[in-house]
Amino acid sequence: MNFDEPVQGHLHWTVEEYNDSKKEVMKTIIILSVVTIAEVGIAIAYDKLVGDGGGGKMIINMIMAIASIIKVYFIMGTFMHLKHEKKWFIITVFAPFSFLIWAIIAFSVEGAYWETMRGWINLF
Amino acid sequence: MSAQATAHHGDESPKQLWSGGASPFKVGYGKVMMWYFLISDTFTFASFLIAYAALRFAQSTNWPKPSEVFASIPVHGLDHLNLPLVFVSFMTFLLIVSSWTMVRAVQEGYRMNKDGVVKFLIPTILCGIAFLGCQYLEWTHLISEGMTPTTVAHTTKVQNFGQLFFVITGFHGMHVLGGVVLNIWLAVAAANGRFDKVGHYEMVEKIGLYWHFVDLVWVYVFLCFYLL
Repeated sequence: MNFDEPVQGHLHWTVEEYNDSKKEVMKTIIILSVVTIAEVGIAIAYDKLVGDGGGGKMIINMIMAIASIIKVYFIMGTFMHLKHEKKWFIITVFAPFSFLIWAIIAFSVEGAYWETMRGWINLF
Repeated sequence: MSAQATAHHGDESPKQLWSGGASPFKVGYGKVMMWYFLISDTFTFASFLIAYAALRFAQSTNWPKPSEVFASIPVHGLDHLNLPLVFVSFMTFLLIVSSWTMVRAVQEGYRMNKDGVVKFLIPTILCGIAFLGCQYLEWTHLISEGMTPTTVAHTTKVQNFGQLFFVITGFHGMHVLGGVVLNIWLAVAAANGRFDKVGHYEMVEKIGLYWHFVDLVWVYVFLCFYLL
């Protein structure tokens, strides 16, 4: 295998580009740390303050899901440098993921239906 | 365009790059293929996590609580403390830090700074190994509590929980191990001056993409098993 093929792309940065990127990455790592600490804090606080059977679990789950999407946005955008790629390259990366939206909905509904079915079976 | 592309490689005919004379999306072939590999890998992990969702919804009333299953720190001397999520947060922190050092190595590569690349790859490798060590502690602790793919601990009322946990975190751990091996190869190759000879450090970015992907997957594994 030849790992060293010639490539087209922006592989040599100027000092300004380097410094800008360094600043951007520093900002990103701080955001990621804060979001992670907040997530864990909320999870522990919910557990200690509300606990079993308390309401609002749905809202907590929504917050966690949104926080994860924020983290993914920053990891893919800044760390994996996707924000700075060509628009159509970003689209080819994200387009396949649209299949997953239906998969998640379909299998969640299906799983809930299995539970309902099990309830019916136990009736008899 | 092609004249610009071959500026660093004066002796190539402009036809070569991707054999059509240009690089689509203006990125190297290897980098695009690494992205497309990561997309396919995303689908593998997504299948696992969607299976997790379906099985969890099917047993939602019995599903174990993360704060009970992962209640203690699996380190000798600390395991009697009831501190849920602290240990796994530390593991998450290790991956985030290693992602940051990796991206610093990529940036140093763009500046053709060999020593900088090696300097930032070493903490990346160490964080990866530390993560695997933490996973070892966590797994042995859970197994000692009786949670295995075939048995149920007092905290995990559902058989599927252990099965899904060991398969998904195991598959993720295999990816971390692969990343550590790649990073060691990369650090040795960089230290030997391989990429200075080649003229660019794109390989650091390609392996960096893989390493960030491992971090990315952990965000969702962490979400599904520990937070929801």
